[in-house]
Amino acid sequence: MMYLYMATKQLRRELKRGSTALLILALLEERERHGYDLARLIQERSGGEIAFHVASLYPRLYRMEDEGLIGGRWVEKPGQRRRRYYRLTAAGKKTLAAQRSVWESFFDALNRVANIRPA
Amino acid sequence: MDWRKAVRAALHAATHVPQDDVIEELAQHAEAMYEAARAEGLSPAEAEGRVAGQIEAWRIEAHDLRRGPQRPKAVEPPPTAPTSPFRGITEDIRYAARLLRRHSRFAVLAVLTMALGIGAATVLFSVTYGVLLKPLPWPHGDRVIVLKETRGGKAPRFGGFSSTAYLAWRERATTIEEIAAWSSGTATLAGTGDPERIRVTSTSASLFAVLGVRPLIGSLFEAQQEGSPVVVLSEGLWRQRFGGDPTVVGKPLDLDGQSRTIVGVLPDGFAFPDRRARAWVPLEVRPPANNSLSMFNAIARLRPGVTVAQAASEGSARGRFAADTGMTTMAVFGGDGPIDVSAAPLGDALAAEVRRPLLVLLVAVGLLLVIATANVASLQLARATTRRREIAIRAAHGADGARLTQQLLVESLLLGVAGGAAGLVLASLAHRLLPSVLPPDFPRIDELGIDATVVLFAAVVSAATSVLFGTLPALQARRVDLVESLAEDGAASVGAGRRSRSARLRLLIMAGQVAITCVLLVGASLLGRSFVALLTADRGYDPSGVMTARVMLPDWLYSAERRYAVLDQILGRLAEMPGITRAAFTSELPLTPGGSTAAFTLRSRSVESGVISAQASPRVVSGRYFSTLGMRIVEGRGFADSDTQGSLPVVVVNRAFARRYLGDFPLGAQLPMGVGYETDGREATVVGVVDDVEYVTSMEPPLPEMYFSYRQLNGRVKVPVVTFLLRSEGDTASLASAIRLAIREADALLVADALMRMDDLVTRGLARPRLYAVLFGGFAVLALVIAAVGLFGVLSYVVAQRSREFALRAALGAQPLDILRLVLQQGIAATSIGIVAGLVVAVALTRSIAALLYGVTPYDGLTFVTVPVALLLVAVAACAAPALHAARLHPMRALRS
Repeated sequence: MMYLYMATKQLRRELKRGSTALLILALLEERERHGYDLARLIQERSGGEIAFHVASLYPRLYRMEDEGLIGGRWVEKPGQRRRRYYRLTAAGKKTLAAQRSVWESFFDALNRVANIRPA
Repeated sequence: MDWRKAVRAALHAATHVPQDDVIEELAQHAEAMYEAARAEGLSPAEAEGRVAGQIEAWRIEAHDLRRGPQRPKAVEPPPTAPTSPFRGITEDIRYAARLLRRHSRFAVLAVLTMALGIGAATVLFSVTYGVLLKPLPWPHGDRVIVLKETRGGKAPRFGGFSSTAYLAWRERATTIEEIAAWSSGTATLAGTGDPERIRVTSTSASLFAVLGVRPLIGSLFEAQQEGSPVVVLSEGLWRQRFGGDPTVVGKPLDLDGQSRTIVGVLPDGFAFPDRRARAWVPLEVRPPANNSLSMFNAIARLRPGVTVAQAASEGSARGRFAADTGMTTMAVFGGDGPIDVSAAPLGDALAAEVRRPLLVLLVAVGLLLVIATANVASLQLARATTRRREIAIRAAHGADGARLTQQLLVESLLLGVAGGAAGLVLASLAHRLLPSVLPPDFPRIDELGIDATVVLFAAVVSAATSVLFGTLPALQARRVDLVESLAEDGAASVGAGRRSRSARLRLLIMAGQVAITCVLLVGASLLGRSFVALLTADRGYDPSGVMTARVMLPDWLYSAERRYAVLDQILGRLAEMPGITRAAFTSELPLTPGGSTAAFTLRSRSVESGVISAQASPRVVSGRYFSTLGMRIVEGRGFADSDTQGSLPVVVVNRAFARRYLGDFPLGAQLPMGVGYETDGREATVVGVVDDVEYVTSMEPPLPEMYFSYRQLNGRVKVPVVTFLLRSEGDTASLASAIRLAIREADALLVADALMRMDDLVTRGLARPRLYAVLFGGFAVLALVIAAVGLFGVLSYVVAQRSREFALRAALGAQPLDILRLVLQQGIAATSIGIVAGLVVAVALTRSIAALLYGVTPYDGLTFVTVPVALLLVAVAACAAPALHAARLHPMRALRS
């Protein structure tokens, strides 16, 4: 029982780690967003299932920015304080498409073997 | 709530403070979160609590909250089993280059340290090599010897060889092929263009044969031309005055008002006696007549197979048959014992005065190089420890010890080559400065340069040092324990930082560096203090505010009477110039080479026979000479306006004269009037004693001197060269043109040369001690900087290694001050061991520079107290940053990392 709990916890962590980049890329595909927006949407849309640590969101964003997957810029809107918005770059789009197809074939395989239906 | 302030405050407590725009972004997030919480219906306090939790989470992760490259891609290591050894090396080089580019801060530090060490060593080697080792530029230069003559062990007061010994040997020489006489002076070059003073060497025709030189054009004068007015030009003078005219041979050249026929041009490479020589005129060595003796410099060329000692003994033997010149010999040598001739190879003789200082400096620069190498070794050692994981993984992939050693050595060699190349660049830059840094009379100065030998030296030193600083880390790496290195995850266990071999080795290196720095600082301090002592030495006169101008009045243009009149006229004009408080002239200015000396007898009250023979340097001066130069009259009086041709002849002697010959009551003693210039049977009464004046250097004892007023010498001045002295209250330098004009106005043919401030003359005389002090000081400061950087590096590394331990200690209740003390202790302990060792070595070594010191003993107390204190202070400063860092370590952060 203990083993099962640990295995599940580890799987969750690994899944989360592997999927964060995908989630960010997917959310930015719709339009450019700021950090809080991204954190909120991931939590909302996953129904709280992927309420990942906000502390690791920004390091992740910075790294993705470094890798050229996303681009950040400061935007000032009238009546608001300036905010940092992130958008998808061409490389990010390519990575998103590739990741999607990996996840798709992965879920497909999982479904066929373990009878797991993707959400 | 100001979220930005809150975020900033929280993150500032963390060790890694993120950039400003990151803080701003997080503050926005916090604000949005707060608003959302409020919208959910939370109270302000509850909402703030939620945000505070988030900020705390950021604080813990602060080290990841950085924009910009965080984890650079790993550099791909070279394959474990290369296809060929050559391939393996090239792959290692590529890998090492990439690694060094990645760790650019380390690479720059290492290359810069090596560049400084190798650059300094290369410059000094090139100078030492050029001066002490390089073959002379003249054919058979190795067989050319310099001759010196002594009488009963007494060296002549000027010149090196007498005409009598020269002639005696020249007639019957068996050990030498040729002997040559020469002496240097200056002459006024007139004719087309402005008159100028140039350096002229008078030489016997044999000089060209001794040195084996051929003319660029024309011919060189022959022995039978030694009495004729001919001249050989230097290539430089030929180009400057005649535009390189190939038909210059046979044309006239006006030197000191005498027309000479140009017979040839010597190539610039000839440069004898030094590069300042512009023309050569014949010097005829005549047999002595009327007890006259001429003094000059002599060189000779050995017959093949003959030793220097054999030549010297032949010279001495022949010299014993030389004509006796009686009192003149006494005057010149201060004795009339048997002639002894000594000989030394020309190269050695040229470098004699600089040999010891150069060797001392070479040792100093060698020590500097050792410190630099030790620093890089220490840095490499630190990297080797942090690279244990990388090395362990490569070993796990099958790379054997030899393969790993090769890779690490290649890395070191790459650093060494880069350091050597940069050092060579620094050295060539320094070489451009050499001519302005080295005193103009520095031997063989124009032969110094960066040639193949010097480049080879730099290459060998680079390779040798890189092997040195590469070996330790490579050995360290081979000891890597695979399992331990991987299991530890790169961080040392508690206490490992102190216990590890590498850390101990680095502290030992550190102590060694401090010891060497200590030795260098002691040397620099001694030389520096010695230079200051020379600079501020009591010379017996006050050089500040005095301008000097030399005037030549050659015999063939000026009779003694005419000279008297001209000098009198110039003196009158100068004294009337505005801004001048005193004006005078002298036949011999302190700090200028050359001089005359006279031997005579005088009545003495202290010996039984009542007559003693004396030797002293006579000087002809004008009335206000003593007050113009600021000399002190210790007894009696100086010259007065009443001392004229018609009045009783008087003489002023210096303290050394009085002490040696006149006993306790010098005033009133009688000396032959005008001795050394013209004696007419009159006697002069000693009316005053002046303090001893340092004529050449502070290193030599003062010699007896006597001063005559020119106005009492029967309206005649027999000295062809005098120097005017002007004391002014204003700026002395601006006087130069006025002086030139006043002299030209008195006589159109006269050109004032050597217009110099007396201060500059003093400094020029001290150019060499200054050079040695500056160079040694420079090396010591470099060593100090390198050692301080090294100490800082070692301690930073130790702190990084022990951070877990410090964190644990802090968690267990240790106060920051305790940890601070712990780190400082380690640094100071290494420094103290180094200082003690350094002082011991310094005490043993300073004796070797005793000969270079003036006014300070090799065991100077001030030096031996200040140096350790200064070193300790620098060490504390260098240790402070790592120690403070350790004290500020956050326990949780350190334990988690």
